[in-house]
Amino acid sequence: MSSSLLLRSAFSRNLTHRLAARSVNQARYATSEASQYKYVPGGPIIQGTVNDPTTFPAPSRTHGSYHWSFERLLSAGLVPLTAAAFVTTGSNYPVLDGLLGVSLIMHSHIGFDQCLVDYLHPRKFPILGKVATWTLRTATVGTLVGLYQFNTNDIGLTELIARAWTA
Amino acid sequence: MQSLLTAGRSAHLALGKRAFTSSARRWQAVPQEKPVLMKEFKIYRWNPDQPEKKPELQSYKIDLNQTGPMVLDALIKIKNEIDPTLTFRRSCREGICGSCAMNIDGQNTLACLCRIDREGSKNTKIYPLPHMYIVKDLVPDMTLFYKQYKSIQPWLQNDNPPEKGEHLQSPEDRRKLDGMYECILCACCSTSCPSYWWNQDQYLGPATLMQAYRWIADSRDTQGAERKERLQNEMSLYRCHTIFNCTRTCPKGLNPAAAIAKIKLELAVD
Repeated sequence: MSSSLLLRSAFSRNLTHRLAARSVNQARYATSEASQYKYVPGGPIIQGTVNDPTTFPAPSRTHGSYHWSFERLLSAGLVPLTAAAFVTTGSNYPVLDGLLGVSLIMHSHIGFDQCLVDYLHPRKFPILGKVATWTLRTATVGTLVGLYQFNTNDIGLTELIARAWTA
Repeated sequence: MQSLLTAGRSAHLALGKRAFTSSARRWQAVPQEKPVLMKEFKIYRWNPDQPEKKPELQSYKIDLNQTGPMVLDALIKIKNEIDPTLTFRRSCREGICGSCAMNIDGQNTLACLCRIDREGSKNTKIYPLPHMYIVKDLVPDMTLFYKQYKSIQPWLQNDNPPEKGEHLQSPEDRRKLDGMYECILCACCSTSCPSYWWNQDQYLGPATLMQAYRWIADSRDTQGAERKERLQNEMSLYRCHTIFNCTRTCPKGLNPAAAIAKIKLELAVD
């Protein structure tokens, strides 16, 4: 009887000791680990639960279907324009030449802009995204001015490509 | 007794000929010994309880001749016999629940529908779905995916329901939903889409967009205009650049890219 009592007391002492150690451990977790990896219900990055739907940006057809339709029509229009540039000469049809140049620049602008929206969107890159967008706009305007100068005062785009082709 | 019997049987086997003393029954249907075909599986491991430890590929070798034909069978065998801490989702084991979507040898697919490559010299690498937050090992956090699915309001909305009975639909109208209603939302397509990788906080992704079109195309639904209007912005729909990764990876053989193209067309002529 006495031996069992002794055993029990030893056991309980052991248990309390271990419990104390565990609580110390937990406290350590709470101070160092938890501050770094804090548990947030629903996750630290995605807010809310599966039952809270995501929201949509404000609807805008200019940024939606109009933009897409314009882009696709422009791309499709470039095919006959390019074909026309092959069979005509830029000097005789300056309007066609100018149209081809402007279409190509707009097509490139929209294409580069898509890259910026995909990879450098201002919501993720508030400074770099804006810088890139305005760099692209400046480059596009600069190219348009250059094209105008080249087409009015020099041989023009189609003629240039024709000469470079045969050079 | 049992041990005596087996001992006697192995002695006969060792002799290599049938003895007259054995009964016919005992000599029938000796299970054929299959050769051992070991294959290495390299599986992505990450444990949230050890956040300081980086994710790693852990290697497991199993005998393919003692395993079922599908990758899910191999995973279950590994979990049962080698490493019970390996964590993955699975439920129906026949490609109808979409739980076991993962990246197997570089392709998003359902582990239960993906046959094990029986080339023993080549290992098979298994990762969770790419560009998702990982809960543990092969278990991705699907919260955002489900939130996006809910945002398109995936249920029938009709202003004036029929007086009695059910909504009627012509066979032609019903046929428009074929190839869309079968989607099990396993997220293989969305997580194979680079646009979804970079912009998943705003772009809905192929799975959700195909379900959006499933309700736009439904003749019984009267909220088509509102559904389309919600997609009229730069991010939700038009981040799709038609690269067809979604269609290529779909384990159910569906075509989300075609559904997205149809939404774009309907919005353009709207």
